[in-house]
Amino acid sequence: MAQHLPIPVVFVPRNSFFHRLHPVPKLIWAVGAIVMAFATRNPLVLLVLFVLGILFIAGAGVMRAYGRVMLVLFPISLSLIVFQALAPAFPQPWTPIAGFGPFTIYQEGIYSGLSLLLRTFAGSNFAVLLVLTTHPADLFTALQKFGVPHELNFMVSASLQLIPIVQREFQIVLSAQRSRGMRATGFGAAIPSMVPVFAGTIERVQQLAMSLESRAFGSKGAKTSLREVRASAKDVIFGLIGIVVTVAVTVLVLQYQAQLDWSKTPFMPDWVSVALVAVAALTFIAFTIALWWRASRE
Amino acid sequence: MTTPPIVCDALGHEYAGGVLALKPTTLTIQPGEVLGVVGQNGSGKTTLVKHFNGLLRPTSGRLLINGEDARPRPVHDLARHVGYVFQNPNHQLFATTVEAELRFGPTNLGLTPETVAERVQQATSFFGIEKLLTSHPYRLAFPLRKLVAMASVYAMGPDVFVLDEPTTGQDHAGSNMVRKLIERLREQGKTVVIVSHDMALIAEVADRVLALWAAEVIASGSPRAIFAEDRVMQRTKLYPPQITQFARRWAPASTRPLPLTVAEAAAAVLGEER
Repeated sequence: MAQHLPIPVVFVPRNSFFHRLHPVPKLIWAVGAIVMAFATRNPLVLLVLFVLGILFIAGAGVMRAYGRVMLVLFPISLSLIVFQALAPAFPQPWTPIAGFGPFTIYQEGIYSGLSLLLRTFAGSNFAVLLVLTTHPADLFTALQKFGVPHELNFMVSASLQLIPIVQREFQIVLSAQRSRGMRATGFGAAIPSMVPVFAGTIERVQQLAMSLESRAFGSKGAKTSLREVRASAKDVIFGLIGIVVTVAVTVLVLQYQAQLDWSKTPFMPDWVSVALVAVAALTFIAFTIALWWRASRE
Repeated sequence: MTTPPIVCDALGHEYAGGVLALKPTTLTIQPGEVLGVVGQNGSGKTTLVKHFNGLLRPTSGRLLINGEDARPRPVHDLARHVGYVFQNPNHQLFATTVEAELRFGPTNLGLTPETVAERVQQATSFFGIEKLLTSHPYRLAFPLRKLVAMASVYAMGPDVFVLDEPTTGQDHAGSNMVRKLIERLREQGKTVVIVSHDMALIAEVADRVLALWAAEVIASGSPRAIFAEDRVMQRTKLYPPQITQFARRWAPASTRPLPLTVAEAAAAVLGEER
């Protein structure tokens, strides 16, 4: 039950600028951020994008919900820095900066690890902002206005709604099997807990399909929506800014690609790099042990 | 004196987020007792019984299983003392044969293959499911699936059974089968805790009824006493079995014991006529 809270990436009702914003400009920013994040590997550019995302999230007043997501994702993602530092995803030769016994940390690895980590969060921050500040129905109503078919919207929203249901179902199944002496971890737990969940989900989806048909889901004609989504000047402006920023940043980083490639540039003192890898490794290991310890106690 | 299998010592539970699901409850369940737990949805029944095998942990007070504090013991260890049968058998059946399903629990307890085979055999004959052993659990009709789910818990040999809504979704024959099984568990000296909305079942099989309302145990006593207490019935919005309701209207001032079953009511009527 409460021991296994799923990662809570769901709409958080507030009354901020970002909550009142039309879903489409937010979607433009979310897509734009991903484009920008993949256009460059420069840690400074990615850091700026990352910080901008954090500022938006803080401005929307959903920092707590974001923090809860990060609490799980961030320690796991730190492993990127550790593994990249030891074995960079770069062509050899690598530039060693420090070594502990059999391990050597490379300059290219630090660069690559930081880029990947920042890229992950710089790109996803705006998508998280979209999800946390937009009522799902508004998003789909808005998309429908742009010609996305109702059926497709419904399929996506129904699948999203199924996630918490399946998660809850999984908890019940896990409780039932633990009541039969099953340990909640390890390979042996996979089949006894997955089979009932999947069998139940298939059954549920079949029933959903029938109940939809019995409520005239397949009827012809335009579908109306209870919630109204209107676009004002500020929505258009925010959306346009998103497009301009995305295009400008992407063009610029591609133009100055050579200058922005810091893979051979020691942009941090060596001791900072070493400290970074050490902290990342310790956090990642501590987090893994904490998870394992918690699972083994149940 | 034998040790009570379950003792709740001011046991309370507050869910994360501050929802008080169960106010501190003190309760001793005697060996061999059949206890009915009744109350509306959300009254705290399931929260209470989920503590008995460690699926929930008290946020205040403590729980003793066979006289020992249950806190340090994980669910898979408590499972050897307290068997919990979930309401929906589909939540636990996963194997391709009934026999494999029955083996799962005792194998998890780390018993030897001989003992496991013996336990499976005992469960099979107790539930009379010899003919089903090679069937696929998902192909069985609902009442039989429920039976297999109960048998799979029985095979672990617990002293205490927690049955969550054992008669929900069952037809008349299925409900009767559950009643008989509970009686036979009682004959074997097992302790049975039943969470149910089926008042006729509770009236018939329970030695004691615990009525919950708004996260609190508001009454505890024999079914006859609890079903006669208007205050409890009104607060919990529960209704006694139909025959009991009928008997109270028909002879409200009666000093005779309140009939809980049709057989008892019939005996009372015939006794009067004689």
